[in-house]
Amino acid sequence: MKAQYINPFLNATMGLFKDFLSLEVKSGKPAILENPKDLSEVSALIGLAGETTGAVVLSFSHDTALKVVSLMTGTKYAFLGSEVLDGVGELVNIIAGNAKKDLNDFRISISLPGVITGNNYRINWPKGVPIITIPFQSSIGDFTVNVSLKEAV
Amino acid sequence: MKIMIVDDSEVMRRIHRNTLKEQNIPDESMLEAADGAEALKMAISEQIDLFLVDWNMPKLDGLAFVKKLRAMGSYSETPIIMITSEAAKYNVIEAITAGVTNYVVKPIRGNVLWEKISPYIGKKGWAAL
Repeated sequence: MKAQYINPFLNATMGLFKDFLSLEVKSGKPAILENPKDLSEVSALIGLAGETTGAVVLSFSHDTALKVVSLMTGTKYAFLGSEVLDGVGELVNIIAGNAKKDLNDFRISISLPGVITGNNYRINWPKGVPIITIPFQSSIGDFTVNVSLKEAV
Repeated sequence: MKIMIVDDSEVMRRIHRNTLKEQNIPDESMLEAADGAEALKMAISEQIDLFLVDWNMPKLDGLAFVKKLRAMGSYSETPIIMITSEAAKYNVIEAITAGVTNYVVKPIRGNVLWEKISPYIGKKGWAAL
């Protein structure tokens, strides 16, 4: 997948964590997600539709999910309740919505976010399109942003 | 004066509410709705002075809500601030065309959001404050 389709998601994630959550994050090299089941325990996903199709999944460990939503709201959370799941969903919504600004090849709409938790789940990614995983490191834990997007013909 | 926060995210509604509370807006002046359909019902039963509206919501999204609201005589000029993650230029144009007064892209810090909201509150002369 071309960098021009990945960079908007990388930049939107950096902007969200650095500017809004005041959290220093370091991005690693984007790579193909070889095993789509290699996601963490809490994954927020959003679908992309319109002139192309795709999906974005933001994936955290249980502990990092609690910490990131605590940062977002200023409330300390001890378990994965509805508010934490809602917060994680909102984060992927912001990443996808913000990334649209730089995806100039298509006019797309984003779905409502959903959140999956657990250790053994499978996401129905778009068929025939590689999934690119972008790793991020932060003081509250590592996480990934995973993107699958059909390229313009 | 009544402000309605329309967002399907409980967390975002709480964040917006806290921003307003920090500016001494009383709790009783704030109403919340989790989607456009619920907001529309509430806006019919009670006159609202300022709307903070998300775009992507179930049942009735923010854009459709704004169009319906603008079609009602009593809300033809009420300030509507759309607060959304949708950052594409075509989204901004679509929202403004639908009747949104101001367009704010999330994420936004509370103090910056307040800068966007306060002119509309000032205009109404929130005497109670």
